[in-house]
Amino acid sequence: MIELLDLTKKYGPTLAVNKLSLHVAAGEIYGFIGPNGAGKTTTIRMMGGILAPTSGKIIIGGLDMAKNPVDAKKMIGFVPDRPFLYEKLTGMEFLRFTADLYDVNPLSFPLKAEQLLRQFALWDWADEIIEAYSHGMKQRLIIAAALMHEPRILIIDEPMVGLDPSAVRMVKDIFRQLAARQTTVFISTHTLSIAEDLCDRIGLIHKGMLLAQGDVSELQHIAKLGEAKLEEVFLTLIKEDTFL
Amino acid sequence: MKAIAVLLKPRLLSSVNSLRPEYNKNKWVSIIVFLTIGLLFWSGTFIICYRVLLYFQSVQDFGDILAMKLLSMVVMIFFALLIFSNIINCLSHLYLSQDLYLVHAQPVTAKDIFFSRWLLSTVDSSWMVILFSLPIFLSYGIIYKAGIFFYLIVLLATIFLSLIASILSSIVVLLGATILPAGRIRTALVILGVILLLILVLVLRLTRPEQLVNPDSFASAVLYLNSMQTLNSPLLPTTWIVDALKAALNSQFSNAFFNIALSGSCTFMFIFFADAIAGATYFRGFSQAQTTPQRLFAPLRYKGISWETLLNFLSREARAFAIKEIRTFFRDSTQWPQLFLMGALIAIYLYNYSVLPLDKSPVKTFYVQNLFSFLNMGLAAFVLSAITARFVFPSVSMEGASFWIVQAAPVSLKTFLWIKFFLYYIPLIIMAEALIVISNLLLQVSTFMMVLSIITIFCLVPPIVAMGVGLGAVYPNFKSENPAQAVTSFGGLLFMMLCFALIAVVIILEAGPVYYVFMAGIRHQSLSASQIIWLILSFSLALFLCIFAVIYPMRCGEKSLGIK
Repeated sequence: MIELLDLTKKYGPTLAVNKLSLHVAAGEIYGFIGPNGAGKTTTIRMMGGILAPTSGKIIIGGLDMAKNPVDAKKMIGFVPDRPFLYEKLTGMEFLRFTADLYDVNPLSFPLKAEQLLRQFALWDWADEIIEAYSHGMKQRLIIAAALMHEPRILIIDEPMVGLDPSAVRMVKDIFRQLAARQTTVFISTHTLSIAEDLCDRIGLIHKGMLLAQGDVSELQHIAKLGEAKLEEVFLTLIKEDTFL
Repeated sequence: MKAIAVLLKPRLLSSVNSLRPEYNKNKWVSIIVFLTIGLLFWSGTFIICYRVLLYFQSVQDFGDILAMKLLSMVVMIFFALLIFSNIINCLSHLYLSQDLYLVHAQPVTAKDIFFSRWLLSTVDSSWMVILFSLPIFLSYGIIYKAGIFFYLIVLLATIFLSLIASILSSIVVLLGATILPAGRIRTALVILGVILLLILVLVLRLTRPEQLVNPDSFASAVLYLNSMQTLNSPLLPTTWIVDALKAALNSQFSNAFFNIALSGSCTFMFIFFADAIAGATYFRGFSQAQTTPQRLFAPLRYKGISWETLLNFLSREARAFAIKEIRTFFRDSTQWPQLFLMGALIAIYLYNYSVLPLDKSPVKTFYVQNLFSFLNMGLAAFVLSAITARFVFPSVSMEGASFWIVQAAPVSLKTFLWIKFFLYYIPLIIMAEALIVISNLLLQVSTFMMVLSIITIFCLVPPIVAMGVGLGAVYPNFKSENPAQAVTSFGGLLFMMLCFALIAVVIILEAGPVYYVFMAGIRHQSLSASQIIWLILSFSLALFLCIFAVIYPMRCGEKSLGIK
């Protein structure tokens, strides 16, 4: 469902992402972890069509993002790392805006919007301007908006930032339900416990390159650490710069 | 004092760092452009003021009275401007800046924060007023052959004037913020300020100063002059400043010293008061400012027909963007005063045409009317450019940090920019055509000039709007908190220059053929073959330029946004 082929991004002389290749199947929850400045957000932004790669390809549901960005983006629900929204719109107005952009059936919109707003505990705030929302509420609204058009792929950068424990639990459950319905979920996170708990496979990126990927036991095997926690695996792999 | 100096450091260091070439390759180019333009304005102000004072000197008996009246008016206007800009700046610096959370978390007193912010606000509000007051005072000094003493008094007077205005404003803001949340005060004050400004402009305009050029009404002009009294109570700081300047011009040293000392002591007294008030109220006001933002007007709950249905003819994504744009535009309280101001300027623009004393002109009225109509095309296009600069140029930047939504949406950047284009094009073409038709009706121009004006404006609006959208996309500032900041950027300046160039070229291309058509009409002759060819070539070239100026900036904008 998601395929990255030799993806490279340079910011002037800085190489942010270096020939990154990976494949994520339909219905898979893929965790993307790495230290600060490893290239996670850059990769995610390229996958979301927000940044153009310097070289390499991004294939989304069989479509090349460079050649067919509009159709590729229609398959994606994108959630950035920081919840910047149109502060002067209300939550409901923002959802309608998203629905219009992603061509959601206007007849099913009211029901769908209410369901999502209730699911994310925002229904009571639906007619308040976003400026008045807390950080966590904005984050929940962005996730709700990303799910509005029932995307085949969900790309999320740091999904749990600003969320309280009950919201974290709720979001994790939603991701699992989505994966069960064959939606691909691509998560970038620093919260290793969430990656360990939620993801089918985890990719570890460092200095723009994929150091290792696999499920937790495969990563433990690569790091030669037996039954160690993901945190231990992560630190060992980063320290040794062990390439895939 | 040490804490205040430390608190000022981030701003100082940021300014220094922003000049480092590795952070901004084109910074020096824009600095040179801004300096050149600033110098031109500065020189222009000096030349105009010098010529006016020179002219006043030639008027027997009245010369000095006029010059001194002008001086007191200038000081009063500067003081009013300083008060207004200081109130707005103080509110932002003291209560609304994004870094205030960080600053208030530091181990410094609220008074230290207040004084560091007040100093920044004073500098931000005053530097331009001081800079552009200097050519005026310089021309006074030269005309009155004043010595170094006058310039010393000017220096002290401008410093004290700025400090008094800023400290008074800060006291008003400190007290205001204890009653209302700071965000609300800003909205209220901006609207109030603009209304006051409009009243002032309208009153000045309705006094019909054009009558002053009519020799028949000279007797009434003297009365007019006498009636224009400025506030000169001995209790006002502006009176002391004006008296100090007048005394310095006439080399009355003790009188000048006395008045400047009064101004200085008044400044320090207000700073002392502000210190006490800040200690008691600043932190309370800051805490009160951290409230949940609320809408000033309740949303319409009526579920039937809404204004949005008027946009149903648009494609779905275009409609979504249009509704978003209109909502965010009208809910942003910083846009409201601009709209008031625009409305007032248009009203004054049209009013000017209604009071033009065309019948008193020594040239034939018919000729003058049509000449004015021709020039009016250029003038209306300039007005349109200014409005476009304020509203259209920042429209891409206004997406701000939310621009990721556009980038991630299944809409191409080309579509996004063209949606923006049409959103602004439709109201602007209606406004521009209304402006040109009404002013031409007031001028009672010929049918030919009316048709020509309508067609010319019809052709000029798309390139001006396209340049606004396109260049706004080439030079976006997604970090801008205020749309006005985008206008004053290098890109904004470039947009204005290119607009002026396009309008000038189109008007020049039309001028020759129009003159021949017009004269042929008056003389009841037909155009020669060469004149017809010239006409076709000129108009075709003008049309080509307009089409090029629509397509090229939009493509540049699309390309540039794609790279970003």
